[in-house]
Amino acid sequence: MAHLEAMEQMRAVSLTVFRHRRLSAKPLVIVPLTMAGEAGAPLAAMAGTSRTAPKLLVVAQPRNRDQRFAFAADLGRIVMNYIDSHRLHRREVASRVEGPTSRYTDAPQILVPNPGGIKALIDLGRMCRYRKAEGPYPVAPVVPQLGMWLTFLAETAEQAGTSMLLPVTGMLAEHWATGQSTMEDQNLASIMGWIDPPEGLSVAQAIADAENPAVCPPAGPATSPEFDKTYLAPAIRRFDDTYARGDIAATAAAEADLRELIGEQIKPTWRLMWAAVSLLRAVPEAPRTAARFERDLASFTAYSDYQDGGGLPQRKHDGAIGAARRLSRLERAQADFEADMAFDDPLALADRRSMGEAFAGVVTGAEPDRVVTTAKNRRVPRPRITVTTYDPVRLAPGVTLISPSMPNSHKALIIASVPDGASTQILVEVTGGMGRGVVPLKGSVPVLGQHMDYLPDPGWRPTPVFPEPDSMPWTHSSPADDDPDTNPEDNAAEEWGNAD
Amino acid sequence: MKAAVDERLDGLRGSAPRLTYSARSLAALENNPRCTLRAVLDASGSDKAAIAAHAGFPTPFGQSPFAIARGNVFEALVKANGCAELIRVLRETLKLTLPEVAYQDLNDVGGNASPEVRHSRTRQLLVNTALGKSPGTLYDHPMLRLQVGGHTVFLEPDLVAFRIEDRFHVVEIKSFPIIDGRADAAQVKAATTQASAYVIALRAMLADAGIGPDAVSDTMLLVAPKDFTNSPTAAFVDARKQVATLTRQLTRIEHIGDLVSLLPEDLTFDLAIDKSGRALRPAEELAEALDQVPALYRPDCLSHCEMAFFCRSRARACASLDVLGSAVREQLGGIDTATMALGLARGELTPDADQAEMAAALRHAARLRTEVLGQADGAGATA
Ligand code: SF4
Repeated sequence: MAHLEAMEQMRAVSLTVFRHRRLSAKPLVIVPLTMAGEAGAPLAAMAGTSRTAPKLLVVAQPRNRDQRFAFAADLGRIVMNYIDSHRLHRREVASRVEGPTSRYTDAPQILVPNPGGIKALIDLGRMCRYRKAEGPYPVAPVVPQLGMWLTFLAETAEQAGTSMLLPVTGMLAEHWATGQSTMEDQNLASIMGWIDPPEGLSVAQAIADAENPAVCPPAGPATSPEFDKTYLAPAIRRFDDTYARGDIAATAAAEADLRELIGEQIKPTWRLMWAAVSLLRAVPEAPRTAARFERDLASFTAYSDYQDGGGLPQRKHDGAIGAARRLSRLERAQADFEADMAFDDPLALADRRSMGEAFAGVVTGAEPDRVVTTAKNRRVPRPRITVTTYDPVRLAPGVTLISPSMPNSHKALIIASVPDGASTQILVEVTGGMGRGVVPLKGSVPVLGQHMDYLPDPGWRPTPVFPEPDSMPWTHSSPADDDPDTNPEDNAAEEWGNAD
Repeated sequence: MKAAVDERLDGLRGSAPRLTYSARSLAALENNPRCTLRAVLDASGSDKAAIAAHAGFPTPFGQSPFAIARGNVFEALVKANGCAELIRVLRETLKLTLPEVAYQDLNDVGGNASPEVRHSRTRQLLVNTALGKSPGTLYDHPMLRLQVGGHTVFLEPDLVAFRIEDRFHVVEIKSFPIIDGRADAAQVKAATTQASAYVIALRAMLADAGIGPDAVSDTMLLVAPKDFTNSPTAAFVDARKQVATLTRQLTRIEHIGDLVSLLPEDLTFDLAIDKSGRALRPAEELAEALDQVPALYRPDCLSHCEMAFFCRSRARACASLDVLGSAVREQLGGIDTATMALGLARGELTPDADQAEMAAALRHAARLRTEVLGQADGAGATA
């Protein structure tokens, strides 16, 4: 619906009332650029925690291994300084799973322009995490560290609702609907054109400009082929020539030219990134974001402790079990995040209601004193209510429900759903959140005439049980399950020639 | 009959030289096969990029010189010394037991690089090999030929290998990396579709010599850089599905006459290029001509068709739901435009019988949204 309105009005409209992602007070913005055609070869990056103090890192010859790792070391220092600045304070917490423990009080947040930016960091992480500070191809110690942290952050980014590594286009698209496709929304200049076109431009002009690399350089990670051809390739060639001649002054000049050239390409994106951050900051944060952030803090602390204990780099692949476990975790996170959003956000809830995945209505019947005897011979309150809704409900009896209209612990169960003309009568049994006694606590049972919102409880599914690695049938194990460090051949294989 | 169709197609193209299909443009057939506009433009050999640009919608479809250079360097590396690296990969990575390998360079024949000459040499060699009369194993840049809509298209695979299970295998050498055994899915798909054009052409060539399709495997061999290195690795990729799809698309092209006959007699996309290379055709007139042919815009046209910006502007102009993408489209099945969807949602339009259910859902959704936004505004939230 929102997308239709955006199309009609030619401007972005809100899709949600709230911003559902935490926005750090001090995010680290990174705009990575890579070289076309080369496997994950970084070309440049602009990084920093303040709009006015960007740091530009440039690899003058991306095919040169030493220069790549000098770049990785520079970026590594920026990222590690940033991460370390979140590892100063801990706080005691009581965790349900681990018992009393302590957590850092803040977590990092790295923002990149688009999903491609995340991919570039994944590649960089993969390239760096098995490197060693000693041995035949030594790198700065910060390089493998950067590799492991980027890999960790990228893994968290796969999980819905996390906030430690995010594409800004994704954050914008979660809150604003545009009149274009998801793919086009991944163009930062374009989605920003819909939301907040540059002074004096209409949305139509802004989005046309966004696709013209001569006006809006792409937000990366790839640079525009036209730019590569006309400017970048000659500039790199000049650098190579002067370098080959051993002319130090000319090399420095050629490098400075390259920096300037790339700086001009990257700066518009840098400014847009911060403009996007201010727009997002102006949107109120959803209440449940805080609880999700607690989980980020827990996983950040856990990984940080693992690293402090001399943690090994992540393996190349999950094994079969690991992959299944991961998939199940991601699905669950997705369902939880969607439920959180609907719980917090009336617009998100309205969407779910329109699709029949949630409902709202007035309590038109109530049996507040209903008590049943359980199999264990305990008498428990099981009040029933009837909600009359005009929503196109598609939830079947047996579905457990949660409700933003009641205290958080409220749980209920659909007993029956009977269509009645334009409306539907839904018989709901309250099953939780009423205290321990036979008489429900005050305010824990909906009353006649009360307006109720209900949506399915994403937590009803049991956690799947996976076999432990050693009990795994042999058909599902593969050599890829080997720890990378026991596989030294791969490390040696990754030598880049400087001569290509 | 056929000749009449060709005449119509020539008329559509006008004075411009005919562009032939390439493995790339054939591969693009897989995307959006139902679009009449593209079918007609391609079949007539029209220059889509030039037409789109002249109509005022140039679509950037360049390849970076770095990518091109990298591709060439990598291919040269794989093929150096009679494909030494490739053979190593086939033996070590794919554990193939290759007998001794005979390598044939078909890039030119005794200094003659004309496609016809190379093609007849290719045919002679490959047919003999298939019949067991010649010992070849690896054929570098063989020249294949395919009839598409009655026109000859020459296709040039990177490499064709024989003796992998005694069948021909198309080998695609690509410079995108296979990192930890995985490569970018979209790129693999594009490579596979391209390879399936070669499979079809190879089979057609052997069929002329009475050799059955089984002689050509529909599994292709992808050779690409391993991780972040320059050394190659390889993987088998099943191309069966794409071979079938492409075969179907090619049959459709044979029936292009059916589509063309629905178009106005005098329709042409001629740009009227004068001697100095300027296009004299008024842009609006060209756009009008293009508008006569039904297009089927979808957002992913942006990544494969030169006409995309033009078609998108048309789709936007009529508020077609196509601009939002297939998800929305499917959700609002039976409704074509945003104007209609919103009209139904606001009760300004009366739905027909098929739309009644959707209209009710839309009205409901609109009401909920208004309710919430009304409340949110009241509460002072920024919405
Ligand atoms: S861009 Fe236009 S011509 Fe090309 S496939 Fe899409 S709809 Fe057809």
